[in-house]
Amino acid sequence: MTLLNASLLGGALALDATTVGQFMISRPLVAGLLSGWLAGDPVSGFLVGVVLEIYLLVAFPVGGARFPEGATATVVAATTVVAHPGPGAFALGVGFGLMWGQLGGWTINAMRTLNGWVAPDPAAPLLPPARVVCGHLLAVLLDFVRGVLVTGTGVWVAGLVVARFSGNWPLGEEDTVGLFLVGAAVSVGILLRSFGGLARRRVIFLGGLIVGVAGGIFL
Amino acid sequence: MPILLFRVDERLIHGQVVIGWGSQLHPERYLVVDDDIADSEWEQDLYRLTVGDSTKVSFFTVEQARQRVSEWMSADERTLLLTRDLCSMLRLARNRLLEGKSVNLGGIHHGKGRKMVRSYLYLNDADRGRVRALEEEGMHASGRDLPGSLKVGLADLLEE
Amino acid sequence: MTEISLSTRLSTFLRSFIIQGSWNYRTMIGGGFAFAILPVLRELFEGPRLDEAVRRHAEHFNAHPYLAGLALGATARLEADGAEPELMLRFKSAIKGPLGGMGDALMWAAWLPTTVLIGLVAHFAGASPWMCVLLFLIPYNAGHVALRLWGFGTGLRWGHDVGRVLRGAALGNLAELVSRGGVVLLGMLAGFLCVAGARGGPIELLWTTLMAVAFTAGLILGERAWRPAALLAVGTVVCVLMVAAR
Repeated sequence: MTLLNASLLGGALALDATTVGQFMISRPLVAGLLSGWLAGDPVSGFLVGVVLEIYLLVAFPVGGARFPEGATATVVAATTVVAHPGPGAFALGVGFGLMWGQLGGWTINAMRTLNGWVAPDPAAPLLPPARVVCGHLLAVLLDFVRGVLVTGTGVWVAGLVVARFSGNWPLGEEDTVGLFLVGAAVSVGILLRSFGGLARRRVIFLGGLIVGVAGGIFL
Repeated sequence: MPILLFRVDERLIHGQVVIGWGSQLHPERYLVVDDDIADSEWEQDLYRLTVGDSTKVSFFTVEQARQRVSEWMSADERTLLLTRDLCSMLRLARNRLLEGKSVNLGGIHHGKGRKMVRSYLYLNDADRGRVRALEEEGMHASGRDLPGSLKVGLADLLEE
Repeated sequence: MTEISLSTRLSTFLRSFIIQGSWNYRTMIGGGFAFAILPVLRELFEGPRLDEAVRRHAEHFNAHPYLAGLALGATARLEADGAEPELMLRFKSAIKGPLGGMGDALMWAAWLPTTVLIGLVAHFAGASPWMCVLLFLIPYNAGHVALRLWGFGTGLRWGHDVGRVLRGAALGNLAELVSRGGVVLLGMLAGFLCVAGARGGPIELLWTTLMAVAFTAGLILGERAWRPAALLAVGTVVCVLMVAAR
């Protein structure tokens, strides 16, 4: 049941990322909460979403190039983490999600190649309006099916991996947090660069930093 | 340093030219030579959108360009000259006006009877004839989309 | 000048939300463009002229999805005014570069990360998960839908003269302004993360040093720091650690 729910959610959120709307409910921040809620623990799901969001925020969906697919990756990771408590399962679930995101990105590219035949072809001998509508909508459906399959297999494989290996996770809770913070620091650096770089933005970045440290201590 | 680059590109001024070539050559102005666009103000507005306000973009007909090209080549301003097709470049180069200059083929897309030379370059018989004519006018043609990619030599361009 | 009916305009606007539905390497969003503009073409043409119009709009096209509506609106205007096919081709080939570049700079590089950062900072400041998600989704989509509406309306109104309006709208300056807000939020996030690290016990020298190295690597390398190769290297180290622990 969880597997089916998660797969359908993965399919729906995969659509949002490029194919339908881009309302950004496919962002890890939202996808984590939704899949945690479906699996019975919105807070844990959301935490997975927060971690993945910090990592994936730097991969913008600019046309063409290959990107990790955040939506299916987050549903896979959050569903797995909710089903298996403990720091080992959290670390492995999130790590597996990041890897599965790469695979998701690869299936998107494969689909875009396939879409070359599904989409209306201006060079075709006959191109009636009905062919345009059918071809286009078929491609939309294809993306949904792809999202369902990527999420479903991901949740299944991640469940096996986490059940087998989470007991072997060598780090305690403190060090696991430390490891994730190192990853988050990479993302903060990349984002600062894409927002204009430390040299140009030094004053406002440091201003925000001071507010953040104060907030972290007092809130 | 007069005209730094003569380029044939259907897309004229776009990301590849402004970011790819612009960041290498630091042009102060772009000259677009095209009879249609020279008197189409809305089209000029659209092509200007891709460059910042600090860089000038001017549009000329082939005839106007032929009269001013020697002046541009001896000016101080760092300039990129673009045409949309081989035809305009060839008309500009007639009577060995651009003798000794290189011409960069940076974007001619798939079309009737055109064969792929590179992913950004498709040529048919008539195009190859124009490339040969450019050589006869004393220009050196080669294909290259971005400054970092490999040059496509004349032999590859003319291969049928 | 033929007026396009309200229901047709609405239908094309709604279809523009799935303009990327058949994204492919051959025509990119060409198929989606033809799909979205079809209601307009149906209102204006029938029979072989309709087929011909559909075919010319299925050709290669690309743009930022939120600004594709601007090209759709302007092309609908041109079709309604009976413009020559060759002129529409020239319009579409001139507009795709600027729409892609401006949309990417404003939405993907500035507005999206900035609004996501609102949600993230809210989480570290103690807001509930649902609140954090709403604090991201509401401002993000207010901007998103406003941009789509503005683009489509501007296109319909100005036809091929949209260049002047786009220049006046100065979307580049807007992106610059938004990204400054983003930097402040990013600084706040970094501050919260430092404190969170310290809370996980006395933050050990190893992790602090690694965080500083990681931040610098991100700042210098940019997105290259997140390549699959880098992830694979990290994964390998983790696996070795795990095997060693057994």
